Order: sequence, then structure tokens, then C-alpha cells
Amino acid sequence: MTPLLAISDLHVAYKAVPALSGVSIELFEGEILVILGANGAGKTTIVKSILGLTNIQRGSVSLRTDDASHDLRKLQTHQIHRLGVTWVPEGRQLWGAMTVLDNLKMGGFASDPTETRQRIEEMLDWFPRLRERQDQLAGSLSGGEQQMVALARALIARPKLILMDELSLGLAPLVVAEVFQLVKKVNSLGVSVLLVEQNARQALRIATRAYLLEVGHVVESGPAAELANKQSVQDIFLGGHS
Amino acid sequence: MNLFLQQLLNGVIIGSTYAVIAIGFALVFTVLRVINFAHPDIFMVGMFGGLLCAKYVSSNFFVVAAASALSAGLVGLILERAVLRPLRGRDALMTLIATLGVGIMLENGVAALISPDVVAFPPVISRQPIDLGAVSVSKPQIVNLIVSLISLAIVSYYVRLTPYGRATRAVAERPDVAAAFGVNVSRVSQVAVTLASMLAGCAAVSVGLLYGNAWAFIGLAYGIKGFICILIAGNRYFEGVMLVALALGILEALITGYLSSTYRDAIAFLLLIAVLYVRPNGLFGSYST
Repeated sequence: MTPLLAISDLHVAYKAVPALSGVSIELFEGEILVILGANGAGKTTIVKSILGLTNIQRGSVSLRTDDASHDLRKLQTHQIHRLGVTWVPEGRQLWGAMTVLDNLKMGGFASDPTETRQRIEEMLDWFPRLRERQDQLAGSLSGGEQQMVALARALIARPKLILMDELSLGLAPLVVAEVFQLVKKVNSLGVSVLLVEQNARQALRIATRAYLLEVGHVVESGPAAELANKQSVQDIFLGGHS
Repeated sequence: MNLFLQQLLNGVIIGSTYAVIAIGFALVFTVLRVINFAHPDIFMVGMFGGLLCAKYVSSNFFVVAAASALSAGLVGLILERAVLRPLRGRDALMTLIATLGVGIMLENGVAALISPDVVAFPPVISRQPIDLGAVSVSKPQIVNLIVSLISLAIVSYYVRLTPYGRATRAVAERPDVAAAFGVNVSRVSQVAVTLASMLAGCAAVSVGLLYGNAWAFIGLAYGIKGFICILIAGNRYFEGVMLVALALGILEALITGYLSSTYRDAIAFLLLIAVLYVRPNGLFGSYST
């Protein structure tokens, strides 16, 4: 089976400091793939490398679409989006000086305007709280509401693959559970998900497969359920018990 | 009372010109994160583009204004492709020095090709004053005000209500995220620089008509005022920059009317220092760099 996304022997450094050293990851269509790792392990660098936002030194990143396989290193970030890849960045990174509605419209910037309008309506049905706040500045919303905008914005363009970076960061526990349920809902609609998380317990519950990253290297990988039972993962992320 | 109303009107007119130049600075700065020191000289190129058109092609105001906008827009387009784009992502100081160099080149180029002295701007519009009772206003003043207000309305419409304008604000705030949502940042930058330059060209022709002359080194005076406006307002809201520019124009006119034009520039700089001391990000806030 050919993977939807294939990262092979990826080397990335920020100036002289290596961030990723020979990372290889495969993501198959329709799955939720989780990358676990502590701060500084290189998780966000993987996401940014897929989006063309890092200076890759060596290795390859390719994405398969219906008609071809695309070498993402040869494409610019806006071209990668047009292949069906969207992003829920760490810390949401909304356009805080723009309204919620304008943020959602930007989610469909590269899509057909009529379809974007329909998708915004769908998203406002998904998140009724955003309908009430659609004319409010995105920067004035609570953390949970901002995460809803970030998710809705990423879904407007009907992505094939959605990259989610630290979804649970800074959110209240109840909101975290709600957000992970949303990830499952998104995936059930046929969207493949690459989830980068520190909240291993919740992430492994919804994931198909997982990779464990330590200082720029993949140290473990396999089905999420198997990884959740591994002693090394439990020791680092699950407090010694699953 | 008559003096106050007259100076208020004069202030609104000159302030609206500052606003157009300041908006040009703001558009380029927010999108590219660089201070385009060539912008005042692109304004000057627009002025001479209009002057040459009025002299040799047509003295119809709309043709002259179009020639100004196109000549300034063309220089802006070339500047973006040849200087700003290759330097994107480099140290901001490099771009600053490069645009300063382009500005000096434009000033001296026009001085060498046309004249280093002040030259007369053909009277495309009658300079006959119109008496409005308490105040009197000339046709070029009215044209200046209308051109500036239309330019500001175009910018407001563009950034608030068009998809590309929305993308411009998105790039200004978070360029990486904008690119990840399909925005071609280079294209947005190109449009921003060209639009800013065309508007500067329009403002320049109305200033040329207002004072009846053009000068290769005129850009500096207007450029400094435009720059002060963006520093006082901050770059977060374009409307804030427009408001500050109008206020600065009115303040300068009132100082000239009631005190002396000697204090005019000093007060503008004092105001800048005072605002930056209290609100370093400007009155209406700035996007972080």
C-alpha cells in the first residue's frame, strides 16, 4: 500500500543546531497518525517541513494525490496547500486582528468562493458558538473557542490531510476531551490526520498508529494500542500506568 | 473664526495627502516587514510622470493622473521584483539600505534627466480661488482632497472587503500561516507595493497641481511626514494611520496660522517623541515583527 505522506531520512537544522536527524515517517490514507515527543524533540519541525516552512538539508517529503506523487521539497507552501494539506498550528495562530468570519474565509482562500460560503455555513453548524461570535475579533475569544476557529479554518478547504500541532496545549481538561472527539469526527469524514501531541494518553486513545520522537530521532513506532502498552512510552508520557 | 476654518480646511487637504503617502508606507511595511525608503521618491516619479504627460501628451486631468499612477506603479513593480523580493528573509537593514539607495538613484536620475531645480507644473486645472463665504478654496485644493479621499477609500475597500485585501492583512499578521492556507505571499507583496506606488503617484500629481511646481527632491519632505504618521499610529489599523495623518495636517495648519510655520515640523517631531514614549507600538498598536 502506498502511503499518502512519506517522509524519508529527513535532516533539518536551525542554523548549526540539528532539529531532525534522519527521521522517516509514513502516513496512510484515512488514518490518525500521532507523533509523540517531549518539548524540543522535533515534532513541530516535522509539521513545518511538510509545509515547506523549514530549510531541509537532506531527505525527502512526498505526498500522493489521485494523479501523481508530489515532491513537497520542490513546492512552495501555498502550492502544498492546494494539494489538500491544511494546518492547525501550535497555539492556534489565528489572525487575531481579523474577525472569526474573516479567519474562516481565509481558510477557503484558495477554494471556490461559493463552496467556501457553503463550507463556512457547515462549520458554523458544527460549532454553534462560533456563529454567535462570527463578527468578533478572533484574538478576543477564549482558548477553547480559538481552537474551534483553528479547526474550522483548517476544514473549510476540504483537506485530504490535516496537520494538527499540539491541539490540547493550554486548554482546560474538559475542552481537551471535546477537541479529541472532534479529531475523531474529522477523521471519520475521510480526512487523514497527522497529530503532534504531548498529551499521549488522549492522543493514543484516538490514533491508528504512533511514532515516538526523541531529540530529532524516531525511537519507537507501531500501532497506537501497542505503543500505549510499551514500558518506555508509559514511563515517559503516561506516568508509569496506562 | 474665519482663520480657524480656513486653516482647518487647509489642514484636512494637506493631511489627506500625508495619509495617502503614509498608507503606502504602512501597506509595504505590514506585508513585507520592511521600511520602503524609496516610497517618497516613487511619489516624486509619479509627479514627474504627470508633468511630462501634461507637457507632451495631454493636459486632461484624468489622463495626467493616470500617467502619474502608472509611472509610479511601474517603478514600484520593478522595485518589488528587482530589490525587495530577492532580499526577502534577509536582514531588514539590508532592505532598508537598498531602498534608500533606490530612492537616491531616482532623485538624482530625475535631477539629471529633467532638472535639479524646481520646475513649473503645467496648469491642468484653473488655480482660480472659489469663495465659500468664511473660507476660500482653490480648484487644485478640491482636487487634492478628492484624489486623496478616493485613494484612501480604495485602500480601505481593498484591505477590508476583497479576498486579496484579506490575504494582505493575513500576511501582515502571520505570513507563514497565510502561505499554509494558499496565499502566494510574493504575489500579495507585489500587489501591495504596486498599489502603494500607484496611490503615491495619484497624490503626487494633485500636490504638483496644488503648488504649481515639481521638484526631484520633493519626496523627502512628504516621506518624513508619512513615516511619522505610521510611527504615531502603529501599523495595525490602516484607518488609524489615515486618522493620524489628517490630525497631523490639521495641527500643522493651525500652528502655521496661529504661530509660525517655523514651529510646524518641530511640533510634529515632538508629538512623535511623546507618543512613542507613552505608547511605543503606536496609538492603535502594531503587528509584532
